[in-house]
Amino acid sequence: MANQLTIKKSSEQGLIDFLTFLLETRKISAVFTLRETGKEGVFDYGLITDVQMLKQAIPLHPFMPVNAGQELSRFKAMKKQVAAVIRPCELRGFIELIKRVQGTPDHFLLISYTCGGALRFASSLHGKGDTNLPGYWKAVEKGENYKEIRPTCKACEYFVPMNADATVSLVGKNHEDECVLELHTEKAKEMAAGFKGEYSEEGTKSQIVDTLLEKRKAEKTRLFQEIGSVMKDLGGVVEVFSRCVGCHGCSRVCPMCHCILCDFESHLFDHEASVIEKEFSRKEGMRLPTDTILFQLGRMNHMSFSCVGCGMCTEVCPADIPVASIFMKTGSETAQLFDYIPGRDIDEPVPVTVYKEEELSKLG
Amino acid sequence: MKGIAGKGVFLPEKEGINKSILGFLKTLLEKYVFDGIMVPMRVPAKNSYAWVLVREPSLIMKASPLAPVMPVQGAKALKSLTRKGKGTLNFAVLMRPCEIRASIELTKLNQIHPEKITLMSIDCPGALPLSDYIQNPEEGEKRFEALFTGESWSDETSKPVCQICDQFSWQPASDLHFGLMRGQKKGIFLISNSEKGQRVLNEMKLQASESVSEWKKSIEDLTKKRQKKREKRFEEVQTMAKGFEPLLETFAACIGCHNCQSACPICYCRQCYFNSTISRPDSDFIFQKAEVRGGISFPMDRIFFHVGRMTHMSLSCVSCGLCSDACPVSIPVAEVFSYVADQTQRTFEYRAGESGEDAIPITRYRMEEIQGVQNIVHQAEGAMSKDG
Repeated sequence: MANQLTIKKSSEQGLIDFLTFLLETRKISAVFTLRETGKEGVFDYGLITDVQMLKQAIPLHPFMPVNAGQELSRFKAMKKQVAAVIRPCELRGFIELIKRVQGTPDHFLLISYTCGGALRFASSLHGKGDTNLPGYWKAVEKGENYKEIRPTCKACEYFVPMNADATVSLVGKNHEDECVLELHTEKAKEMAAGFKGEYSEEGTKSQIVDTLLEKRKAEKTRLFQEIGSVMKDLGGVVEVFSRCVGCHGCSRVCPMCHCILCDFESHLFDHEASVIEKEFSRKEGMRLPTDTILFQLGRMNHMSFSCVGCGMCTEVCPADIPVASIFMKTGSETAQLFDYIPGRDIDEPVPVTVYKEEELSKLG
Repeated sequence: MKGIAGKGVFLPEKEGINKSILGFLKTLLEKYVFDGIMVPMRVPAKNSYAWVLVREPSLIMKASPLAPVMPVQGAKALKSLTRKGKGTLNFAVLMRPCEIRASIELTKLNQIHPEKITLMSIDCPGALPLSDYIQNPEEGEKRFEALFTGESWSDETSKPVCQICDQFSWQPASDLHFGLMRGQKKGIFLISNSEKGQRVLNEMKLQASESVSEWKKSIEDLTKKRQKKREKRFEEVQTMAKGFEPLLETFAACIGCHNCQSACPICYCRQCYFNSTISRPDSDFIFQKAEVRGGISFPMDRIFFHVGRMTHMSLSCVSCGLCSDACPVSIPVAEVFSYVADQTQRTFEYRAGESGEDAIPITRYRMEEIQGVQNIVHQAEGAMSKDG
C-alpha cells in the first residue's frame, strides 16, 4: 500500500478534507483538533463530532493552549475511534503517559506534523496570533526558528514526529501549495482507503529538515549552557526560583504531572506550628510558605527525564521563571545517562521503573 | 471607620516612612515584644518579594513594610504557619488591609489559628501588576515609590482592583494599624484596636495621645472618591459578567490552569473539587456532551469551574486581585469576581473580613429566611394547583 498521500489543496484544507472524509464515512466518531471558537483570536482544542463544525478547525496553527497529550490521556478506554491532530511534543507526552498507565493509543488515529514550533501565549492570544502567522510560515518554509516561538521550541530537535500514524510535512514546504500526508501505519492506510488523492511511495526527505535540525541543535547547546551558567550552584538555583509563588501552575499544565493529588499539595507539606517554629529557631529569618524550592527540585526529580520540552510551564508561570528551559536541560541530561529519549518508543520503560544488572556493579 | 479609637501614637517620619516603620519593628524584636515578625522582603534576584518570618533584629532592616507587588497573599503565608493550631511563640505580621481581611475569613474557615498572632495592618496605596513589575523591576520600584510617598493615591498604575478599592486603610479586625500621614505633618499613626494592640504600645512605653481626626478625614475623603470609582467600574464589569454569553466571552481564552484558584487565599481546599476525578470523566460522558452540540472544548468545564469557584468563595472574596496577577492569559478575573462578591455579600449585608464575630452567611440562617422559603413554597403550590 502507498505510503504518501498528496492532496492538491493547502496543507490545512487538505487535512480538513481528509478528516471530513473519515468522519462522513464513520471510520471515526470524532476529531480532536485545534479550532477557532468564533470569538476574535480565540482558539482551543475541541472534540468535534459534527462535520459542519470542522469548518472551524485550524489543525496546523502554531498554537498550544494546553498540552494535547495531557488531554488525550484523560480519555478512558472506549470503542469509538478519534482522529487527533497534535504536535510532536504532545504526542511524545502522550506516549510517556501511556507508559505510566495513563491513557491508551488504541482508539486514536494519531496525526502529527513536522513542527516549526508553538507560539508563546503573548504572541498568540488577543489577536496577536494572526499577525504572527505570515512570518511564522515563512520561517517554517525556510527551516528557521521564528522569533516568537517558545524558547524550548527553538531548541527542540524532535520536531519530526515519532509514533504517529500519519504525518503532515510542513517544514521546508510552502503550506499553501499542497498537503502531503505520510501514512506510517496499517491503521492509517486502512483509514485512508477510499479517499481521493494522489498516492505514491514516500518522497525524498526535505534537506531543509536537516537544516532546521542543525539550527535546533545549536540553539539547544546554547540554551543549556546559558541555564547551566546561571544555575551552577545552590545560590544560582535559589536565585532563579526565588520569585516562585508556589502556585503549582507548572505542575498542573505539565503532561507528566498526572497525580490527582501531588505530594507537595498533600498533608506531607502541611506543617505543624512546632515544626516551623523549630526550623525558625535555627535561622535569622524564614521564608513563608515553606518548601518553595523543594517543590521545584522534587518535581524535577519525579518527572524531568520524561520532559518533552513543550514549554507549557513557562507560559503559565506568573513569575516569568524559565521553567521549561531549566527542566528540559536537567531532564535531557539525566535521560541521557540512561540512553533514554522520552516518547521515542512506547515499549521502552521509564528509567526509574527498571534496573539493569550492570548498574549494580557500578554501585559496588 | 466605625469603632476606631480617637487617638493614636504619632511617630514622626525620620529618613522616610520605610526606615521609620522598620526601625519600630526592629525595636519590637530587640525588646522581645515578639519572637518573630512576618514582613515582605526582596528576593535575591531583586525582581520580586517574598514573605519572611524574621527573628534577627538586624535582618528586618532589609525588609519592606509594603512591597510594590503581592506575589503571595499574606493570609496564605499566615495560614502555612498556623493552619494546624497555634504554636508556642509570639508572632506579629505586617500586612495589607486585604490580607488582614482574608486572614479573618480564613480564621472563620478554621484555616488560621490566630491566638499567638498579632495582626498589624498598614495604609495601602495599592500594588503594581506582578508581570509588569517582573518585566522591569527598576521601573516598578520607582513607580511604587512615587505611589507610596506621593500626596495623592489616585493612581492609574496600580492593579485594576486596587484602583477601585475602598478598604485600603484601617481595618476593624486588625490589632494594630499603621496610619500614614502625609502633607505638612508627615509621619505614622499607631492605632490600637484590641488588647493585643494595646500590649504592643504598653511594652514599647507608648501612649496614644495624638488625635487622629486629620488623618481620618483624609482617609474618609479618599474612600468616598474610591467608592464612586468602584460603582462606575462595576457598571462596566456587569456587561462582562452578567449572563452566560458575556461570561463565555470574558473567559474565552481560559486554559483551565487553575492559577486563579491557587493564588486565591480563600481557596484553601487541599484538593479542589475541580481538580478531583471530575476532571477525568468517562469517555461515554465526553461523547454524550460532544454530540449534543457537535463539538466541545478541551479542557472541559472551564466556565463551570469559574462559576463553581465563585459559588464557593464569593462571600469571602476580599478583592485582593491575586487571581488576575496569576492568570497567564490576562483574563480580568479579579474585576469579575470582585463585582460578583460585591453583589453576593451585599445580599446578606455582609462584608468579608470586617469582623471576626460575623459568621459567613451560608454557615447559618436567620428565622426570617425560613419565612421567605415558605412564601416561595406557597407560591409554587398555588401555581401547581392552577395547572391541575
